[in-house]
Amino acid sequence: MGMAGCNEFVNRLEQWLEGERPAESAAHLQGCPSCRGLMEDLDSIQTIARSMETDAAPPERVWTSVRARLEQEGLIQGETHGWAGGLRSWLGGVFSPVPRPALAGAYLVALVAVGAALSIPGYRQVNRLSAPAFSASLDSAEHATLAMGDPDPAIAASLEKNLAIVDNYIALCEKSVQEEPESEDARDFLYDAYEQKADLLAEIAERGDGR
Amino acid sequence: MSALVSLRSQRNWRNAGVLVPGFLLLTAAPALADRLERHFKVEPKAVVTIHNPTGMVTVRAWTKSEVMVVAQRATDRVEVDAEQTGNRVEVVTRQIADNSSPADLKADFEISVPQDTELQIHDDSGGVNVSNVQGDMNVETIAADVTIEDVGGYLTVKTVDGSLQCARCAGRIEASSISGNFRFIDLRSYNVRAQTSEGNISFNGQFLPEGIYQLKNYSGVIDVKFSPADSFDLSARSLKGRVNNQLTLTPSAHHHVASRVGNALFGSMNTGRAKVELSSFDGTINILKRD
Repeated sequence: MGMAGCNEFVNRLEQWLEGERPAESAAHLQGCPSCRGLMEDLDSIQTIARSMETDAAPPERVWTSVRARLEQEGLIQGETHGWAGGLRSWLGGVFSPVPRPALAGAYLVALVAVGAALSIPGYRQVNRLSAPAFSASLDSAEHATLAMGDPDPAIAASLEKNLAIVDNYIALCEKSVQEEPESEDARDFLYDAYEQKADLLAEIAERGDGR
Repeated sequence: MSALVSLRSQRNWRNAGVLVPGFLLLTAAPALADRLERHFKVEPKAVVTIHNPTGMVTVRAWTKSEVMVVAQRATDRVEVDAEQTGNRVEVVTRQIADNSSPADLKADFEISVPQDTELQIHDDSGGVNVSNVQGDMNVETIAADVTIEDVGGYLTVKTVDGSLQCARCAGRIEASSISGNFRFIDLRSYNVRAQTSEGNISFNGQFLPEGIYQLKNYSGVIDVKFSPADSFDLSARSLKGRVNNQLTLTPSAHHHVASRVGNALFGSMNTGRAKVELSSFDGTINILKRD
């Protein structure tokens, strides 16, 4: 499957996400494992989000990071529009019923999925997600984000040091939740740690994308 | 109303040495130091945003209806833009030369604003000092320490590594960090929510009736000082750490007795008018008598 096919499919992604199924897109999807993988990722996100409750939305900075990355990749120019705007709108809708503590993991999944979307025209590699794979998603997001680097070595060192601190708390809290599955306090600490990590990764991504 | 000034153009800049002879030494240094001074007339409740990667940002309130921006850049590898749009003043430091070291990109600001100004400050490293401003403010840093004094608006501070010291703050406060320490001194706030992962939290202030005070960390120490006249409901828990208490508490509305369960402590002082929640994962919570 050629690059043009993938690009065309990505350009029509907004329509696809809104439920339209143009014949050309359907045909491309049939024969393109990369784009099929992307759609499976987006379906996974939707499935995860639907299993959650109440109201919240991903922080604005996540979209800022995503938009900067899209611009860097040359997929969009200036304001979010086209399939990127559609993806944002779709993800926003998907995440609207997600509770705040659970959001961290969820929007990391979103970051990974967007990374997968970005990879289609460029690298043809799609990260595969399974519904409960938050830990793997965190690792993927971390790997992708840290690769962006930071122009200021002192700031980079500070961000990495603090990421390690949060990772340590996540490990401790996960252990605590395993030991005391009924403890709401332990879960609260774990969710907060996930949220901190997600926020920190978003900060790193935002900086790496052109500040 | 719109005004744009850029360090790069030099038109609106005067070398420090022109203004003050003593600054001639600074301009003679290898790293060219420039001083910008700009004034912007503003209406009540103006908004000032500052985006500075590295350097000190000092903001003070004054009685004039104008914003004064004084900036000092370390080298000519950065430019400082100060722009007014309507009742909003934006100050931005930008890199204009490649291969610059972080030290080259440093710019320090001293900004005077009307008391009711809203502030939005982003300073990655260096430091942020704000005093006497009564408008809302949002401060975000990576490693820069934040010192805030005598402010009255809704305050949100977010750092990664930087510490926060907040003295005589009276508005609602939300502070978060990963490894920064928080120190609250003589606080008069009715709502405080502070969370740091590895940092310490020290709280010494009033507990106002109906006020809510939530302090949380993962490790480190939470010190909270109370006086016998304070009135609050207390919940203090450290999941894996310790709670040390110097107070005599009575049963609260939600607990039949002032109880100590594991590393948790619940109870009331006086009529329990404020709500105090202290929580830590494996840190130490010290509930102390105020001297």
